[in-house]
Amino acid sequence: MSFAPRPAVQPWKRANNARRLQIILAAIVPVLLTALVVMTSGLDANLATIVVFLPLQILAAGLVGFRAYGRRGIGDALLVVVTIFLSAFVLVMLLSVFFSVLSEGSRTMSLQFLSQNNVYISNTTSLEYGGVANAILGTLLIVGITTIVAVPLGIAMAVYLTQSQSKLRGLVRTVTQALSGLPSVVSGLFVLSIIVTFGFTKSGIFGSLALFPLMLPTVARVAEEALKLVPSDLRLAALALGAPNYKAFFQVILPAAKSGLITALLLGLARVIGETAPLILTVNTNNGTSWDPFNGPMETLPAYVYGYLSSSFTSAHQRAWGGGLVLLILVAVLFGSARYLGRAKSMKSKPTKQKASK
Amino acid sequence: MGTLVSMSESSASNPAPVRRKLSAGPLSTGDKWFFRSTSIAAYFSFVLVALVLIFLFLKAWPALQEQGVAFVYGTTWVAEDGQPLVMQIGPMIYGSLLIALVGVLIATPMAISLAYMIVFMLGDRLAKVFTTLIDLLAALPSVIIGLWGFYVFTPVAINWENTLHQYLSWVPLFQVENPENAFRGSPFIAGWIVAVMIVPIITSVTREIFSQLDKDLINGALALGGSRLTVFNKVILPTSSGGVVGGILLGLGRALGETVAIFYVLQISFKINWGQLLESRGGGVASWILARFGEASEGEISGLMAAGLVLFVITLIVNFVANTIVNRSQPWRKN
Repeated sequence: MSFAPRPAVQPWKRANNARRLQIILAAIVPVLLTALVVMTSGLDANLATIVVFLPLQILAAGLVGFRAYGRRGIGDALLVVVTIFLSAFVLVMLLSVFFSVLSEGSRTMSLQFLSQNNVYISNTTSLEYGGVANAILGTLLIVGITTIVAVPLGIAMAVYLTQSQSKLRGLVRTVTQALSGLPSVVSGLFVLSIIVTFGFTKSGIFGSLALFPLMLPTVARVAEEALKLVPSDLRLAALALGAPNYKAFFQVILPAAKSGLITALLLGLARVIGETAPLILTVNTNNGTSWDPFNGPMETLPAYVYGYLSSSFTSAHQRAWGGGLVLLILVAVLFGSARYLGRAKSMKSKPTKQKASK
Repeated sequence: MGTLVSMSESSASNPAPVRRKLSAGPLSTGDKWFFRSTSIAAYFSFVLVALVLIFLFLKAWPALQEQGVAFVYGTTWVAEDGQPLVMQIGPMIYGSLLIALVGVLIATPMAISLAYMIVFMLGDRLAKVFTTLIDLLAALPSVIIGLWGFYVFTPVAINWENTLHQYLSWVPLFQVENPENAFRGSPFIAGWIVAVMIVPIITSVTREIFSQLDKDLINGALALGGSRLTVFNKVILPTSSGGVVGGILLGLGRALGETVAIFYVLQISFKINWGQLLESRGGGVASWILARFGEASEGEISGLMAAGLVLFVITLIVNFVANTIVNRSQPWRKN
């Protein structure tokens, strides 16, 4: 054994083919070995992932790291493997949620499921009958009323936070943030206590009221971000030209921030459209179709899912999956359009994002 | 220099004139109304919080008065016809804290990993895709997570629990008295469900802070010979720890208020579960409210209101502390 010095570490060099081969091997061998172990010994796959795969993967990555960068490569390999493993874990869970709702829900899905209501449907009725049309209608009406009130108010709050010079801004921001942590069941109880105190009867409008404190902070926060992205030069220029503040807002800032404010609206909608507990506490369920949110019971999608999942019949659970799929599609559409609108905004903000300090 | 000196001399002889008050108030009537209406909207948030507290308190008062302080720490809940109401939510509060703690312990490493990966390992485009996915996870309704947890996740988690019990039963956390009727509906499962729901919030706060870290600091550490691991341990974590802790607390607040998802996966019991995570009994204030609400009498509704009030006060405190920490560690967010 000679003590020839190890070739100097050259991290700036691009990986050559031998290095690439090592990396590929390090990525594949642990998986294969684990699969082999699981198949031959009959070890539980979940357990094998933690006990066999993860150590092997760390070992393999550590070896490659060591050969490439020396001892410091081992720590890096550990960090990289653990990071990717944990991140992948979250993604697997997320995809599992999507996949299960899609696959189970699509078995319930049909034109009739979307167009009929729930009258005369019991837990054991065949899936050929009945649907969620009344629940979709109820959800849209209740959430719509909340939106009509919460969005202008939230945007006005955002305007206050970004344009006024008031000393109370910090406090308002703190309270709004605290409000965004309001547990949804507490919001439902709050409205229920109003109903009980004044002797009202439960109806859709109280569901809207219960969703309102949940939607408001989301709208206010996203709208504030959107308004902040409008360069203050625009506003100052308008003011310098003699425009009063309100004209500067409505004619300069509002058009510039339009897509951001619509994003605020959509994210607020996505936040409340699936809220269950407040609606269960404040709105009675209804198998029939109701167009009147001010009187009588009303069905909503979350309550529909909740109701059928609480039953002990499997056919009823199938309906819950179907309702869940409709809900998921609504959320995904809202969220997707919010993203789509927000894209232009985030590109504009890019150049100012990274600013080296010091 | 000379003029400066003479100026200071002159100001010494005759006192400085009273500072003129600068006013930047709105000039036109339209502006007055514009600012007035926005401030009314802003102050409405105070009113809203106050209203929630007042109404809950009004309705909760009879129960609180009757049950006394034991409401918070006692361990019995009797609400049957013909018997005096006894309402104490000790096990529920403790159960909420336990589940939230388990959730936070599970979610934190995942969230930090995700944030690290998004900010320091992925290219721009992939990072955007990941961010969107995580935000979408945040937007998933809790009833859907509950559906998934009940049908898909619980069987998988029971499998995990079996394994944990089999190999790690010497750890007090994973002991069970009778494996026959344990595992289903345990705080362990509820903790995982909560973790799925709070990963997005911790990730987004952590990502925001990671992405605003001083790049020179990191490049400097790398230039001095630091590796990824040492830079992460010695530079990234210490400089961002405040904000990350804030994000974790925000997640904790969210976890405490989680209702429907936990309701489906947890076996609620008033026999307090001190920390045997695999035992199929646990508690949650919010889930208890939901579970009892349907058949509650007027007296019991008052007790549930009191439970809601306690929950609100706890989450208010946790969120306040969390937001203070997060805001303080993100000075660039001040405008």
